[in-house]
Amino acid sequence: MNPLFESNLLQTRRQFFGHSGLRLGGLGLTYAMGREAFAASKTQVHEPLPGLPHFAAKAKAVIYLHMNGGPSQLDTWDYKPGLQQWYDKDLPPSVQGGQRLTGMTSKQARFPVAPSLFKFAQHGQCGRWVSELLPHTAKHVDDIALIKTVHTNAINHDPACTFVMTGREVPGFASLGSWLAYGLGSESNDLPAFVVLTPTWSAKAMAQALFTRMWSSGFLPSQFSGVALRAVGDPVLYIQNPDGVSPANRRAMLDTLAQMNAHSFEKFGDPEIQARISQYEMAFRMQTSVPELVDLRSESQATLDMYGPEVQKPGTFAASALLARRLVERGTRVVQVLHRGWDQHGNLPSDIRLQCRDTDQPIGALLTDLKQRGLLDSTLVIWGGEFGRTVYSQGGLSQTNYGRDHHPRNFCMWMAGGGIKGGTSYGESDDFSYNIATDPAHLNDINATILNQCGIDHERLSYKFQGLDARLTGVERQHPIKEIIG
Amino acid sequence: MLRLTPILLVLTSVAAAEEKISFNQHIRPILSENCFACHGFDSKKREAELRLDTPEGAYTAKDGAFPIKPGDLAKSEVWQRIVTTDEDDLMPPPKSHKKLTQKQKDTLKLWIEQGASYQKHWAFERPVPSSKSQVSGSKSGILKHETLELETTSTIDALLSDRLAKDKLAFADEADRETLIRRVSFTLTGLPPTLAEVDAYLKDGNYEAMVDRYMKSPRFGEEMARHWLDVARYADTHGLHLDNERNMWAYRDWVVRAFNENLPFDQFTVWQIAGDQLPNATRDQLIATGFSRCNVTTSEGGAIDEEYRHLYAVDRAATLTTAWLGLTGGCAQCHDHKYDPLTTAEFYSLYAFFYSSADPPMDKNINTTEPYLRLPTPEQQKALNAATAAESATLKALDAAAQKAVFAEKTAAETQSITQVIFDDVFAYAAETRNTTRNASAWLNEPAFGAKAGKRVLQLSNGQFSEENITPTLTPVVLGDSSRFSVWVRLDPLNTPRTVSVELNNKRVVWGDGSVFTGTAYAQEGDVVAGPLPKRGEWTQLSFDPAAVLGFKPGTRINVVSVQQFGGTAVFDRCEVSGQSRPDKHALTSFVTWWKLMSGAKKNSPELPAALAKMLATAPEKVTDAKQREALLRFYLARIAQPVNDDLAKHRTAWQNALAARSAADLAIPGTFIFRDEEKPRDTFIAMRGAYNKLGDKVEPTTPAAFHPLKKTGSRATRLDLAQWLVAPENPMTARVTVNRFWQQVFGIGLVKTSHDFGSQGEPPSHPELLDHLAVTFQKSGWNVKQLLKQFLMTKAFKQASPVESNLLSLDPENRLLARGPRVRLDAEQIRDNALFVSGLINLEMGGRGVRTYQPPNIWEPVGYGDSNTRYYLQDHGPSLYRRSLYSFLKRTAPPPFMSNFDAPNREQSCTRRERSNTPMQALQLLNDVQHFEAARALAERVIAEGGADDEKRLHWLFRTVLSRKPDAKEFSMLVAALVKQRALYQNDPKAAERAISVGESTPKKGAAPAETAAWTLIANLVLNLDETVTRN
Repeated sequence: MNPLFESNLLQTRRQFFGHSGLRLGGLGLTYAMGREAFAASKTQVHEPLPGLPHFAAKAKAVIYLHMNGGPSQLDTWDYKPGLQQWYDKDLPPSVQGGQRLTGMTSKQARFPVAPSLFKFAQHGQCGRWVSELLPHTAKHVDDIALIKTVHTNAINHDPACTFVMTGREVPGFASLGSWLAYGLGSESNDLPAFVVLTPTWSAKAMAQALFTRMWSSGFLPSQFSGVALRAVGDPVLYIQNPDGVSPANRRAMLDTLAQMNAHSFEKFGDPEIQARISQYEMAFRMQTSVPELVDLRSESQATLDMYGPEVQKPGTFAASALLARRLVERGTRVVQVLHRGWDQHGNLPSDIRLQCRDTDQPIGALLTDLKQRGLLDSTLVIWGGEFGRTVYSQGGLSQTNYGRDHHPRNFCMWMAGGGIKGGTSYGESDDFSYNIATDPAHLNDINATILNQCGIDHERLSYKFQGLDARLTGVERQHPIKEIIG
Repeated sequence: MLRLTPILLVLTSVAAAEEKISFNQHIRPILSENCFACHGFDSKKREAELRLDTPEGAYTAKDGAFPIKPGDLAKSEVWQRIVTTDEDDLMPPPKSHKKLTQKQKDTLKLWIEQGASYQKHWAFERPVPSSKSQVSGSKSGILKHETLELETTSTIDALLSDRLAKDKLAFADEADRETLIRRVSFTLTGLPPTLAEVDAYLKDGNYEAMVDRYMKSPRFGEEMARHWLDVARYADTHGLHLDNERNMWAYRDWVVRAFNENLPFDQFTVWQIAGDQLPNATRDQLIATGFSRCNVTTSEGGAIDEEYRHLYAVDRAATLTTAWLGLTGGCAQCHDHKYDPLTTAEFYSLYAFFYSSADPPMDKNINTTEPYLRLPTPEQQKALNAATAAESATLKALDAAAQKAVFAEKTAAETQSITQVIFDDVFAYAAETRNTTRNASAWLNEPAFGAKAGKRVLQLSNGQFSEENITPTLTPVVLGDSSRFSVWVRLDPLNTPRTVSVELNNKRVVWGDGSVFTGTAYAQEGDVVAGPLPKRGEWTQLSFDPAAVLGFKPGTRINVVSVQQFGGTAVFDRCEVSGQSRPDKHALTSFVTWWKLMSGAKKNSPELPAALAKMLATAPEKVTDAKQREALLRFYLARIAQPVNDDLAKHRTAWQNALAARSAADLAIPGTFIFRDEEKPRDTFIAMRGAYNKLGDKVEPTTPAAFHPLKKTGSRATRLDLAQWLVAPENPMTARVTVNRFWQQVFGIGLVKTSHDFGSQGEPPSHPELLDHLAVTFQKSGWNVKQLLKQFLMTKAFKQASPVESNLLSLDPENRLLARGPRVRLDAEQIRDNALFVSGLINLEMGGRGVRTYQPPNIWEPVGYGDSNTRYYLQDHGPSLYRRSLYSFLKRTAPPPFMSNFDAPNREQSCTRRERSNTPMQALQLLNDVQHFEAARALAERVIAEGGADDEKRLHWLFRTVLSRKPDAKEFSMLVAALVKQRALYQNDPKAAERAISVGESTPKKGAAPAETAAWTLIANLVLNLDETVTRN
């Protein structure tokens, strides 16, 4: 899109948002007409960019479950029964193929193969092999498309986390959620378009960091950054009135504020003033809508039970999964749940058990819940990490314990809902889950697929940055993975 | 909705039929957007060997067909391809998703008809002074200050006014004085004027004097600096992975100083790029080189050195190209620039200036990553020198005393009580220490609350767990009978930890809530809870019997002692182990026992002289050389053993005191990252497609060929050559880019809107002649920044009133033509500083380490790496809460919400222009953030104390204090009604009033009844939230 045209359009929209609404992704602008008027008109207040979606969208919303640290594909989804006989034997150099290793294992004397300790069984009509770590997710394999050959460019956490969410290894680029909010706007008038949750985790090892750049707008206008929904303190920053300020105090104050700002608009004629008036109204509405969002009392006992015992505990993955559904239900475009603690260099078996206990039941429940409410068809759910893990053990290997180093060359992700063809599997790794045997899927292909399901041609959603038409999926040719699209 | 034709489009793509088409203004943007990707500068991506960025390429016939035949549409293949209906021939091709609009086609058509004349890209031509100015006629060299100032100011107005006239527009009337002083004050100092300043200006009306006054304020440098710090990507953490703290704030403070002292911009440039290469570089010149150390760095385990060395040099070269050349150099990292004449080889030739840097690829997660310049004041240096001399003198005396001492191994004897100090004012001799921050141990010297023993105390401070691990090396600790471990602790009353604990050989004894570790990485089995949390603010001795409590039998060697706290700040003092031992079996009383214990050590302390180290590692019975044995014995007596006589005891104490004094003098000295090269330059290669491990041709440091040649002073070009090249009179970019950034600062938007990109993908200037004129006069003024800013502020354009009519708004929504005064939302820092300033809370102390102001819980914590020293936010208290925003601590991976909410960049990369968004998150922050609400209360208290006796006077005072003007009748009546309402609400709920006025950490004043103060607090909160308050009008 022509940036001059666009900037103009935004400007022009700014002036006339009173009539048409102004699309602002992070949180939208509305004219101070009150909530009822919107409900009556049913217009989408945070409009998409002109021309978007490029084609009919299968998914209206995206829930991205990111397992930060790099979950082991070998212990979850990439079933390699043949490895049992390779226990503690060296990974053949022909398989290793001189690929670069991290500085953590490159000096290891041996690369002993560590078969998974976990039992796999077939599930669903599709007969998908799934690890015993994921009994609840396993029930949904017929709705899930598994991609076993995802690969990425980076081998360490910081650049890989940056890459998986922004398509670049270095800071400064826009995150996936910000792209979607920028392109598609939001369907909610009183909740952010892009919400981020960072639940607690149980693994014992030192957890790798997250970076706000994983949900920041980068070069896109800053209002498209993800808004953190927080378990400690205010659920949304500054949502609560200060102590001693009642809603009556606040309402009275805001009424005068609106009058005085309107008076100011008469004087200055600057549309930014009107925009500000509506922002304060939206802020006031959020003071109601956000507490309502995080108040789980309206959920049935059956629903709560489905998400498991931790669902009532704020900040857990279970609570986050349920909130994700509630957000999507209320029109939020993108929900990103980033669960930390998957960097299992050592003590993998015990730590991954804890991590799966945190996440598996809630994920199963989320899929069931969305389906029961008829939301799964229009909600794309994605599960993955920033990379996978090595077949060889890092550090000591025993019958009961091992660790795995970073492995960017092939790992597993899955998608469900949002027009994804359930029960499918894409790509195969080699016998050691160390190389791709067939059908590679670069992370940029994954992102192209996500955009595609949202009605976006990834080659045509761009933003002028550093003199280039920057895209989420980079400059190389990428393709949505047709095989998993329904 | 698009029925209007805003100026922006007029500037770039639409041309009336009778108008002469300008290649740079009208054609280049169209070609650049639609054609150059395949038919431009990048030879590797060029299709059909056709290039349209040069006249040679466009005019030369290929296979008998002319791409462009000037004046002849029919024979111009390019035109035919644009208008064809054949999908296969159509240009741009459909698969490129580019499409020409009808207007663009019309413009191209007109251009070809008019002769298709080309121009070099405007920004690569040297700027020329305007014909409107007499400066063009004057001799070269620096002009007289006043002449130039007046001249330029009127030329600016003349050029702006000419452009306005083209659209039949004219300047608006001058704004009133209240508006002007507030506008000037914010522009120059980032703060509003005081009431006294407003009154004085209303009275004398001397605008120029008012401008001069603000320019002289120390606040001027602070306001200018924060814009530059965005460009410099300055922050207080490393930025990648652990994102630990770094010491760089001396660079930030230098930038403030440089602007306050009006350092000419050419010098400002040279110092930052190459201050270290100037002859006899001064300290400030070295600090300035920190510019090239401000990039993000990593120390992630497993990260590959070559990759990061490459990335740092890329960032440094790209930042330089953006900040001074206004070009997006980063693209050429992977391929020849498609739009501007910068080849990949040329990019790597710029990169070569930075590739030999001496800083390590891994920052080690410490705050003093080399090259690091320590910055003692003369007094500090003197103190350090004296302390060092004293230390060495006392050591010499101690060694001498040890030579004279008489020592004999004890034979079996009665046990006696022996006490071994783990630390007091210093750690046990040669002990190795490591703490959670990874930085130097935090000793506080002579704290206000008083040390328990000696002068110093050891501080641990962290929002969660932190510890100091002490591993005695040359003073092995072996438990005797009835042993006792003890350490003094004092908990900070404001940041009280939830527990304090001690670990001996990884077994932990806890005081306080032992469950705090549950669910953290620090949980471990077998913790012993020894007692309640000590009373805060008081010295308490933590003491226990290691045998009874931890099951350590007599004879157990304690390898590691760790003192710990969880969730706050604690200081520790005098840590020791005592017990009953036989003197012939204790390392501090028996030379042979000590030697035996040491000979089993895996590695020796670096404190030990090499000759002794070798011997010590050998079992005592195997060393027979009496002289050697004697040397080791004397060493032992001097530094290790319990003093064997009073003289030794005296000398030992003197030496330890001197050691502590030297350490204190040393720790008092701050420092900063500086830039330096390796002595031997590293060979530099093109990284193919930007990949650090796919190297292409070797390159030498040099500048791009499209510009004037680089003058080398030696065989290999230096950074100093590069810096001089940037500010050479022939350089067409630096002055333009710089004046444009200042223009943007003052008028809200640059003459070139894309202030980071002056290349063909950037926007052309709205006023090319003006931009050039400013660039020329700026150079001629000797790169005088204050003068430049004053010229801007003296213009009619700047002084205009800002109200806008709707037709003008639709014609020029962004106010590019300046038919009205600039009206912009305040920046993040200004918004917070304004609230602090008008409330009287502000603390104008300048400089120093970043302060940690109010921040909601869970900004750092959910994202930070477990082991990062910036994972747990520990807020400051007292005056630090009210420092200017410039001095707040900036953690890159989780910046403070008051900054990011209002569009401040996270400083991960250079930023030349901030967005100005308008969101409900901002509204919520201004309404409810404790910082803002506390400021509202403090402002209310000022209203009550200073505003006069009645509501009317007080409302006026409040309004004027915040907005510099009186409320009009309507506003006044709205405020009165609001006050009445809030008063009634709080009078009905006095308890709520009490709570409302207690928000924040400053003590509420008792100037009025709580309900009255609370009501005024809401009114102040209202006024602080007005659009006009957060706007520079």
